[in-house]
Amino acid sequence: MLKFFIPHRGKGEQIILLLRRHPFIIAVKLAFWLVVATMPPLFMIVLGGEMDVLFNHDLFGPLAILFTSIYYLFVWLFALHTFVDYYLDVWIVTNERIINVEQRGLFSRTVSEQKLYRVQDVTSELKGIFSTLLTFGTVYIQTAGETQRFIFKQVPDPSHIARRVMQLAEENKKRHHDLMEAEQSK
Amino acid sequence: MALPLVIFYFIYLAFVLVFLFYTLFNLYHLVRFGLLNIPVIIVIFVYLAGSIAILLLSWGAIAQIDWSQSIPLMPTFPIQ
Repeated sequence: MLKFFIPHRGKGEQIILLLRRHPFIIAVKLAFWLVVATMPPLFMIVLGGEMDVLFNHDLFGPLAILFTSIYYLFVWLFALHTFVDYYLDVWIVTNERIINVEQRGLFSRTVSEQKLYRVQDVTSELKGIFSTLLTFGTVYIQTAGETQRFIFKQVPDPSHIARRVMQLAEENKKRHHDLMEAEQSK
Repeated sequence: MALPLVIFYFIYLAFVLVFLFYTLFNLYHLVRFGLLNIPVIIVIFVYLAGSIAILLLSWGAIAQIDWSQSIPLMPTFPIQ
């Protein structure tokens, strides 16, 4: 069974789909920080003896050491933040609702949700070379609510997810319909 | 007039504090809103090991600096 923190979980509510962006997305972002981390050694190689003069200077030496330390601490921190952002940006489909959790920086977190029986239309889209080759893309979920449509961004196998969401929505609608009829007949 | 070099050391410590604060906040988010499973524990462990390595290497270099030096703010010229 899939496990993740979901806000005000209902009784018997189970996570059916737990979706994140395709691993290629985080790999690209982490590769960027790796390139940034290799910059100082590259400068050392390119400038060679000039950097030795800088690091041995009475004033610039200590400053260069402090700057290099801060540089690597923050590259390391931003790499962690990239992972946290990826890991906590999730779309959860339970047997009752769709939940969109978006982590925007460290101090902003948006959680929106919609009941599954309100889903009207689901569209999947593959766009671009990497998206087509690695089969990741966008799933648009249009609901009957006033809120804007739900968008699952850069998720793996979007057409399969779209079919699954539609299937779950149909099952949920049927269950709600049966419950309503049972209540009316009482 | 001269500027004590130790000022830059305190500025550095302020950056380290910011780093520690954001590190704690990121890890808190991971544990609070995610799930403490094996991959997340590995990420946390690798991150902490990397941070400690950077701080220890930095400390090794910083400890060798004479922080009692001062930087002259006005250029001095040899007077005959």
